[in-house]
Formats: sequence, structure tokens, C-alpha cells
Amino acid sequence: MSQYATELCTLLVEDNFGELFARIFSTLQRYDRLALPRLKFYSRLSDKKLHHGLAAMIQMHLVFHHTSFDDGVTYYEANMQAAYYLVRSGKILEIIEDNLGVYASRVMSTIMYLGHAQVSYLETLPELVSEQVSTDGINGTLGSHNVNGQSQSMILNGSHAASGSHAKLHQTLTSLAAHGYIVRVREAHFQSSVDTMMSAERIVKAKQDAKQLKGKNLERFLQDGITDLIQERTEGDLSHGLIRNGVPRGIKRRRVNRLGEESNKRPRLDSSVRLPFEKLDSDEDELTDNELVDEDPPMESDLVVRINHEKLDVVLRNRRLAELSEHSTSSITAQVYECLLRRIEYQTQRCREEPEIPREGEEGEIYSTPISLHTLVEDIDPGLDLAGSIGPMLPPEIPGRGGKRPPDNGVNGSGPQSRASEVDQHLVLLAQPPYAFSYRQINSGMITWTVEYRHLARKLRHLELERIIQSRYGNVALRIVRVLLAKGKLDEKRLQEITLLPPKDLRQVLAKMQGGGFVDLQELPREAQRLPSRTIYLWFYDPDRVRRNVLQDTYKTMSRCVQRIKFERSRLKDFLDKTERSDIKGNEERCLSEAELVLLRQWRDKEALLLGEVARLDDLVAVLRDF
Amino acid sequence: MTSAANNSRSPNVAALASKLYEECRNKFSADHLFYQKDLLSLGVVPNDNLPLLVQCAQSLVDKKLLRLLSGKDGRLAWKIISQEDAEKFQNLTADESLVYNVIHSTGRSGIWQREITTRTNLTATILSRCLKSLEGKNYIKKIRNVKQTGKIIYMLAELTPSEDVTGGAWFTDGVLDSNFIKILAYFIEFFVSRKSWYEVSTTIDAHKHRNKRQKISGSAAKLDPEKQYLPYPAGYQGYPTVPLVAAEVNKSGITPVNMVEESIGQLLEMLCYDNKLVALENGQFYKAVKKPNEVKKPKELCGVEDLGLKQGDDANDTKEDTAEDENIMAGRGGMTEAPCGQCPVFKLCTPGGAVSPETCKYFDSWLEKTLGF
Repeated sequence: MSQYATELCTLLVEDNFGELFARIFSTLQRYDRLALPRLKFYSRLSDKKLHHGLAAMIQMHLVFHHTSFDDGVTYYEANMQAAYYLVRSGKILEIIEDNLGVYASRVMSTIMYLGHAQVSYLETLPELVSEQVSTDGINGTLGSHNVNGQSQSMILNGSHAASGSHAKLHQTLTSLAAHGYIVRVREAHFQSSVDTMMSAERIVKAKQDAKQLKGKNLERFLQDGITDLIQERTEGDLSHGLIRNGVPRGIKRRRVNRLGEESNKRPRLDSSVRLPFEKLDSDEDELTDNELVDEDPPMESDLVVRINHEKLDVVLRNRRLAELSEHSTSSITAQVYECLLRRIEYQTQRCREEPEIPREGEEGEIYSTPISLHTLVEDIDPGLDLAGSIGPMLPPEIPGRGGKRPPDNGVNGSGPQSRASEVDQHLVLLAQPPYAFSYRQINSGMITWTVEYRHLARKLRHLELERIIQSRYGNVALRIVRVLLAKGKLDEKRLQEITLLPPKDLRQVLAKMQGGGFVDLQELPREAQRLPSRTIYLWFYDPDRVRRNVLQDTYKTMSRCVQRIKFERSRLKDFLDKTERSDIKGNEERCLSEAELVLLRQWRDKEALLLGEVARLDDLVAVLRDF
Repeated sequence: MTSAANNSRSPNVAALASKLYEECRNKFSADHLFYQKDLLSLGVVPNDNLPLLVQCAQSLVDKKLLRLLSGKDGRLAWKIISQEDAEKFQNLTADESLVYNVIHSTGRSGIWQREITTRTNLTATILSRCLKSLEGKNYIKKIRNVKQTGKIIYMLAELTPSEDVTGGAWFTDGVLDSNFIKILAYFIEFFVSRKSWYEVSTTIDAHKHRNKRQKISGSAAKLDPEKQYLPYPAGYQGYPTVPLVAAEVNKSGITPVNMVEESIGQLLEMLCYDNKLVALENGQFYKAVKKPNEVKKPKELCGVEDLGLKQGDDANDTKEDTAEDENIMAGRGGMTEAPCGQCPVFKLCTPGGAVSPETCKYFDSWLEKTLGF
């Protein structure tokens, strides 16, 4: 992580949680790993404050802690990734709301706000009690709850809600878990991945088997052992057993409801595939309680859950691809693609296996789980006009402007076979260059479709970089960069021939881009003397390097936007303090003058714009770093 | 052969020579390369008298009616020169004709001045005088080479320079004609775009119906209410090919000269790099990325109406679009929107520094512009 990422993360922590957190966080970032006394010394905080802050930050996953095996000292370390993900929370909630409804998004936001949460604790929260119960159980004043208080009164209030009211919560949690949006918190999640790896290494090395092995065998043994152990320790997947026929809980129901079908044909859950934690659950009567409402078993109340950002990145990536596909085909094709992506999403844990994006050209092709055409046909909204959204296969008889709809030749009736071929046609369309969104595979005679994410992620990255280049240096620069990307290193003359640009323009743009760090020049001396006249100069464009630079610039831009919000706020401090007053808040219309109202609206617009900009920059970061 | 014998036969030789020349002109094409046996086979020189043939040939060469060349295996060969050209040569000095011959021998690719020096062994002053006089007589001309601008090349006045020298169709007077390229590129993009999307004119009623069906996407609304463009299915064979585009360009009358397919292919490839077209099946077909109503006129073309472009009303609508993001076809992203993305002093910006987010003047103007207050 770099200077700007650090700066941004500290700003985000400060913006979200205030100065105490920011102080601890920035100290940890500046000095890296610190034991408590050193941390106290550097941060100049009182014991009480520091303990308080650290405990809360560990709860929020903002700080890793690890007790060393050798000296028994606990070290603290900032968790940059968690701090960065604070910026993505709005987007995540929006996705959840789109996919699973408002209530699910509220549950998610609560979990997010708590860092991680025990299911039994969630049960007690009044804001998560579903509406119909809350009307009789809890009075309206709790609507203005103070979440960060986590006060006792709230727990008391919540506890008298009928157990039936948890049904919705459990149902929602189950479907969140089934989608993989939330995972079980493991102890290893509280320590950094390096610590986890080192302790895993120690354990594997101490094993009897390791002592008998030597050389390559030992290496391989260690490698496998460590990977397995880390996997075992960090695995928090809750979706096991909750996905049936490739569809997670919750989603099918929604769909069925929408279509107004009454019967639920899904086979009942038999005991053999019950959740692992459900078996431990001794609270059998709760199950019977809920059975009337929902056949899903409730979540174990001891379970501690947190947000699974890895999985949500997969969802974000799919969204992005669907948007791109809509742009290059039609909205209907994009919807077909969305169905395919959703199916794949259920079975994809993370965007990629390696922690870092591999270098350009060193990345293999990794195909996603194949989804059979048959499944897709079932998934796709039967009302979707598939036939009418693709042009005719034959070139129009009269060239020029057609103007007639393709003749409905009866084939596109209601027969399932033709529907399948129509869906297939859309998918073939998606498989076309330049993007090749999908791949067709024949698996034991069945047509299946898969997505090769690595090249698509690369394509997305290139598109983002090209967009920046185009806006900064113009269309000519875009052409040059794309030529260089396709052809590799080129000398100026050859470059000029391909780009069809006047040499003067070409040189100007190249020099500008070199100044901006987007292209560079390689010298290839023909003789040992390195005379300029006897040297070949080759231009090249290294997308990896450009990506890294742009990523840093993006972090910087984000932090500038956040800083600007801070500054704008300080400019209006007195006024904003006034609007925050308890008697004015909520009654702005009555208490403020006309001019003040205008000012308030302007401030809100400004803040919204800047925050929106940060979110859009985060989209860029996601493409450049996470996909 | 004695001089006396030579003299006595000279009228004979002159007559024979002119007869030989006539025969050569009549029986062979102007470009034919004559070897000794070709000349003998004409039957003009009696008894295959070789010395006599040599004499005749020599006299023709002297009169500049034949050009002496060395053919295959170093054998002597001749080519005929037309009467008019021969007259030209008559007036030239020996040096001039030497230079002329050298230039002539390089044909359409022309020859560099220094190269002439090495071949003719003439001094620079004599050479430049010869070149000047030849140029004055309009026998040769100067050409600029595109590859090495500044290098002046000579070639015969009546020849058109080859593509290597001029750089092909894209160069006028050795300079890349970027306006021409832009206009042609626009024309091609529009043409290809019209061929790569299926146009549906939906009535308002049908459109509403369609809208209702696709609940999830609101995209139908942002399309033109009258026209919708649908993609063709995969494997569609109606996408334009290089010959098709070339034919269309030549038919349109945009270019005064006929564009060869090679040049058009070059331009199509460039358009692919511009992200405007996509090559399908190894460049066999080309497909436009943008729909016909999205293809933008380049600035150079606004105002120029008479280009045989049947644009209809689509272009007029798009012309009024915001000029600023006209060229950003990839859409705008976070980085291009924020003031930092365009900031010239971005690298210097630090909180508390001379350039800082607090003192930034771009933010205010950006906020004002975006929010409109």
C-alpha cells in the first residue's frame, strides 16, 4: 500500500469513526506493527482511550492483532483493506437492496455498522424487528435509535419481541449467507494474512511427517499443508447446503412470488444436507416455531457473522460486465447475460485466487463454472422478447434503411426448443469479439456457457485506462496507445504508418504522454558507443505500470475529494452546527430562513456530489485492483 | 574493319539502320528488350552480318533512337526510343543525357541527387547544372519522399511517383492529409455502422408495449423513440467487407482519385484502433461499435453538407449534443470527471502545501458548474 492509499484510509476512518480511531489508525500505519506500549507512546493517548479505541477497532476489523508465539507480546496492525472497504459500503447496500430487498439491506447495514455481529445480538435489535411485529411490540420512538450507543435499554427492549418476529431476520440472514454475502467470523480473520500464514507454517513444520521429508518433497509438503491450514482457518463460508440446484435460498422464492405461482416444487431439505451449525443447534423448538413461516432452519444464534467483501466484489464485477454488455449489444441481450452471470456468481467465491493481479500476458485463462443452457432458459423471464431483439440472419434485400421488423415466422412461438435456441443465439452474440463475454462449451453433449473472467477483467482495465488517456490527451492518443498495445514496441516511423498521423502531431502527443507516464521510450543502441544517431528508439505502452500509477492517482483523487468535503464543511461550520441542533434538525423548514434553506440545500448537493465522485472513483479502483 | 570500308558503306548503314528501327517499332512493343538475335530475326540485315548489325545499332544509339542496356547474363540488349523522345535527346549534352538515362533507369521510384553523383561520376556543379537544365526543359521533376522528408528525388516528368515515395493515398505533396483522412474515416464509420445494426422503426404504440415488457432495463427510454437499432445475430454475413467499403467510397465521390482496397484496409484498421470498428473473422468483416445515430461528425465536417452523405435527421440531432464530451466515447469515469483528473499540478498537491485540496481553485468551479449555482 502506498502513501496515498494510506492517506485515504486514514481519512475514511476519521470520516466514519472520528478522531480517536483516526489517531490510532494513522499511528499504526506510520509505524506498522506495534505492541501496546509503543503504540501508546507514539499515539500519545491515555490508557483508557487507547484500550477503548483498540477494542472497538478490532470489533470493526480495522485493526489486526496477533499474539506472538515466541515472546507472548500482542502486536497491533492496521487493516488497510477493511478501512478501504468503508468507501464501498453504500454500493454494497444498494446491491443488496436490489437483489434481496430493503429489509436485507437494513440487516446488512446493521452488520456493517457493527463490524461483526452475533446472530442472537441481531435478534435483539429493534430496527431489525420486522414491521408487523414492531407495531405492537415496540413503540415508534425507537425509530430514532442511537445505533452506536448499543445501549442496554435497546437490548432489553428488543428482548421482549416475540420469537416469531425473528423469522424474517433469520430468513434474511439465511439468504444473505446462501448468497455468500455474509460469512462466519473466524479467529484468523482478526490477524493479518501474514500472521496467519506464519503460524500455519510453524504448525505444519512441527508435524511429524515434515521431519522425514527433504528438499523438494518437503517444500511441496509445506506448501500444501500451509494452504490447507489457512483455508481451514479462514474459511467462513455459510452457503454450504443453502444452495440447491445452483440457486441460493431466498432468490427463488422472490421469483416465484413475482410470477404468482403457488406451488413450491423445491424438494425439502433432508437431514443429510443440513447445515453444519444447525446440527449443533440444540434449540430445536425454535425450528418448529419457524417452520410455519419458513422451512429454512434459523441461523444458529451463537454464530458471528461479518460482511464478505470478496464475494461482493464478484457481484460488483458482474454488474460492471452486464453494463458493458448492454452498451455493446442490446438491453435484452444484457439481461440474458445477467442471468448467466448471476448463476455463475452463486458458485464463485472470489474474483481471483492470487492476491495480486498477474502481469499482463502472464495470466492464464480461467473459466468459470459452466452453466447449462437449459438452466438459463428456465431462469430468463419468459416475457422477455428474445426474438425481436436480434436482427435477421440474412442481409436485407434492399440495402440501406430497412424499417421493417423481422417477420415473425412462427418459429419463435412458445416451444421450449426454440426458446432455448433463442437464448443460445443471444449468448453467441455475447461471445463475439471484441469482448467475448461468454464462452460456449459442450459438456457431455450438453450445451453449457461459461465466462472467462480474466480476459474480461483485463479488458475492463484497459477500457478504464484508455478512457483516462482519451480524456487527457485526445483521440489521437487513444489510437496510439491501442496500436502500441496490439503491436508491442514500435519505432516512430512504423507507428506513424499504422496510426496515419502526421509526424508532428504524433510526436507531440507521444511526448505529452511520456511526460504523463503513459508511454515510454526504449533505446536500442546498434553499437557500443550508444550514439543517438545509431540508436533505435522504440515506443511502448506498459499497461501494468500505467495501471499501478493510475491506481495511486485514484487513491489520491479520492482522498482529495474527502479532504475537500472536510474543508467545505469547515467553511460552513457555524451554519452547519446550527442545522445540527436538536431543535432545528428535522424542522428545518420551520426554523431556517429562506436564504439558510438555500444554503443548506447547496451544501447537501455539494456533499452528495463529492461523495458521489468518491464512489465513482471507487468503481475505478475496483476495476484496477479488485477484479 | 577499315575506315575506308566503313565510309563506303555508310549510306547503306544509315538506310539499314532506319529500316531496322522501323521494323522494331512495328513488330514489337515499345518496351521490348531486343537482343542480338531479335534484331537479326527481323531480316533487315542481310546474311546475319554481325559487324553490319553492330554498326547499325551503334548509329541508332548515336541518334538516341536505341538505348543500350545490359540484359540477362551481361549480354548486350537494346530498347527502342520513340522519335519524340529521341529528339529530346538530340538537344541534350552528353552529361545531360547521361543524367537523364540514370534518372530514366530508376523509373517510378525516382533517384536521390547524391545517388546520381555516384552513378555518373559527375562533379556536383556539372550535375546541378544538368539537373537544372533538364528540369527547365520539363524532362524531369522533383519529388519529395515521405519517408525522408527533405530528401529530394528526381524522376521523369511524365511518370507518377510510386506509393513508396508518396506514401500512398493518404499523402498530398508528401504531407499526410489528415483532414482527408478524418472525413473519409467518418464516412466509412457511418457507412459501416448503418450496415452493422438492424434498424427497426417502431411505432409509439409498439414501443410502449416493448417498454412494459423489459421492466428491468430503462434503456429503451433513452433510445430514439422512432428508431431502434438491434444487433445482428452472430455469424451474420452482411457486415461490410473491405471491397464493399472501397466500392462505396469510390462511388460516393468523396475522393477525386480511386481508392485502392489496400488503402481502405489501412484506414479500416486504423478505425479499429480508434475503437470505432471491430474486425470480425480475422478482418474479413467490419462491424461498427456505435449505432448510426451515435456516430458523430468530426468538427471539420460540420458545415460541409455536400458530400453525398445521406444522413437524414439523425446527424442533426447529434450535432447539438454537448460539444465537450463529444469525443469521449468510452464514457466518462470517476477519474475523468473529478477536477483532479485534469489537474495540471496534481503531482504537487499535498494537504497544507502550496497546492492543496483546501486552496484548490478547480474544485469550486467544478462544483459550481456541475451543480449550476
